[in-house]
Amino acid sequence: MKVTDAGVLRVNLSKGTFVEESVGEDMYKMYLGGRGMAAKLLSDEIDPAIDALSPDNKLIFANGLLSGTSAPTGGRYMVITKSPLTGTIASSNSGGIFGAVMRRTGYLMIVIEGRSPKPVYISINDNTVEIKDAVHLWGLGTAAATDKILQEFGEKRASVSCIGPAGEKLSKIACIINDKHRAAGRSGVGAVMGSKNLKAIVVKGSNPIESEEKDQFSAYAKEKTKMLKENAVTGEGLPALGTKVLDSIINQSGLYPTRNFQFATFEDTEEVSGEALVAKGYLKSNKACFGCPIACGRYTVLPGGREGEGPEYESGWAFGADCGVNDLIAITEANFICNDLGLDTISTGTTIAAAMEMYEKGYIKKEDLQNGPEMKFGSSEAVVYYTRMTGMREGFGDLLAEGSYRLGEHFGHPELSMSVKKQELPAYDPRGVQGHGLSYATSNRGGCHVRGYLISPEILGSPEKLDPQELTGKPQWVKTFQDLTAVIDSAGLCLFSSFALGLQDYTDLINGATGFSMTAEEVLTIGERIWNLERDFNLKAGISPVTDSLPERFLEPIPDGPQKGAVSHVQQLLPEYYSLRGWNKDGTIPKGKLKQLGLENAKVVLVRKTG
Amino acid sequence: MSWCGRPGKGVLPDAAQSRFAGTMIRVRFFTILRLLVKRADVILDRRGISVRDLLDDAQRAVPVPFLHKVLDDEGKMKRGTLILVNGRHVQHLDGLDTIIEDGDEVSLFPPGGGG
Ligand code: SF4
Repeated sequence: MKVTDAGVLRVNLSKGTFVEESVGEDMYKMYLGGRGMAAKLLSDEIDPAIDALSPDNKLIFANGLLSGTSAPTGGRYMVITKSPLTGTIASSNSGGIFGAVMRRTGYLMIVIEGRSPKPVYISINDNTVEIKDAVHLWGLGTAAATDKILQEFGEKRASVSCIGPAGEKLSKIACIINDKHRAAGRSGVGAVMGSKNLKAIVVKGSNPIESEEKDQFSAYAKEKTKMLKENAVTGEGLPALGTKVLDSIINQSGLYPTRNFQFATFEDTEEVSGEALVAKGYLKSNKACFGCPIACGRYTVLPGGREGEGPEYESGWAFGADCGVNDLIAITEANFICNDLGLDTISTGTTIAAAMEMYEKGYIKKEDLQNGPEMKFGSSEAVVYYTRMTGMREGFGDLLAEGSYRLGEHFGHPELSMSVKKQELPAYDPRGVQGHGLSYATSNRGGCHVRGYLISPEILGSPEKLDPQELTGKPQWVKTFQDLTAVIDSAGLCLFSSFALGLQDYTDLINGATGFSMTAEEVLTIGERIWNLERDFNLKAGISPVTDSLPERFLEPIPDGPQKGAVSHVQQLLPEYYSLRGWNKDGTIPKGKLKQLGLENAKVVLVRKTG
Repeated sequence: MSWCGRPGKGVLPDAAQSRFAGTMIRVRFFTILRLLVKRADVILDRRGISVRDLLDDAQRAVPVPFLHKVLDDEGKMKRGTLILVNGRHVQHLDGLDTIIEDGDEVSLFPPGGGG
């Protein structure tokens, strides 16, 4: 099967039917695959203003162009839908092996429509597709559900992507978990899956994927793999300490959000850092996604014998410093609970942190907690207890499951939600990194660090070191990073590869696999097209550009640490950013810009496959 | 293990602080460097010297070679190396010529990344 031969499986759960469709070559040239191509389908096929949890929403599992090939880190897939958390387009990225196995079924994308009258799962064995009863699986955690489905499927080398109780109960911070430990984490995509009564998808495929320029492609793949292995970040730092290499870097730089972003350094970082995970002997090995030479995943065994993957930097921070907790066991435990119940770790930890601040300030009362432990910063008991309650939507967890913004609204203090477009912010205080703050404010899926990771140049010095407080030039950096990231996501590669690879490297791999002869500039324009497409979706969904902003807290000076006194200058940077994007002063997109990017075109109609 | 954990509060521990009356420089090792040298820091009785000289002194005080992780063959900082003086990257100060004052804390990180 050629890279550009893959099809689309469209499953209608209301009717219990499915059809196969094919994607024209133009679609690859315009959107590559994955995030971009699925955003195009979603924009064409749903009204962006619909209720995200209604049967009218669609849920798309999308492989990138290079997913499942020998391109290094080519094991990433994405879930695209309208988010119930933010109301924006959602596109959540995950690794493991699910994407690569799915690609071998011959399907680039699986589009799920409607709502099943009862719980089901979809089973795909090459092109044998079945919709199966999942009543007996409803209520199970992701690990038990995965084991049961694999047992029923009865074949080796299959892979399962599923939801836990959080998704079933429509928590707006529910994720989708594949291969037991890997999460399409953000924006509540698990709730959309739950709203469709879809517990899981199991896949097994046996069609190898062939690149167009075989020799050239494998030479490129080898060359880029070597670059990843020789790079100090991707060849040494990430394999040894995983993403938790960052705890001490970010804390020492004075950007490590502590106690719901009230402070920017955590006094007990040494207790919870990546170094501590190794020194305390909890880290057993590193783990890789399909086709990845970096292997940044952690496999951890706790003193009580509990084991699993994690914690990653973001997860560890969310339950750690952000909640004022210095107990690495409790933090890891909360991470494991999230994986099993199907919760986004960043949003869950940050929502609990917001609740802790509201409790300490007296806005949440003891009786609101419905007999749960006190919501105090530093309480590892509270973190573990409320994570579980959130996943099960029990007691006070029912409110936490709505995310921090709605929780804040409920108690009259939404300003204590550290979120953008109602999605919780990750582990970098934007006051200390001005470009990264702009990236938060303008992300198409709300509070998020992986749509334009400006930490890379502003703190880590890659590809070059920028002064984090400098404003000049930052809007251009943000735009370029956002567009390039859209390319990497849509190509089905891991963002971490970009510590060692650049635009030309991605262009080589794309051309080698497809036989296209695109220039690097053309490839970056694909990224810009995708960015505008997503923005256009959000505008049509009623997400006002006024929401391109940060919580009020970030206009107050950082009270502690090396960045003491810093405030965010996002509003100062926005006009230049809009202008570089070719948008109107009010942040809307002029028709001419859409036309220039080929986005004014009529809807794409996929061709039904015959035979 | 002793090379992880406290002291690690971002400044010298209180006892050390008063004992050395702020004339000591603390050089802290993080991430891969800490795994390599198997210690969290080294305290040097220095002041008014450049980061470059301080690094040489730190290397002399630690039995395991580590400088090659942060500096290249010409003695320049490797791309992505972080040397922070009180949380500020030396690149935004005077680079390796930045002068270290009494009680400063210097944090060393080889190139790192994640997200
Ligand atoms: S770098 Fe980490 S997250 Fe990315 S593909 Fe490799 S193992 Fe997976």
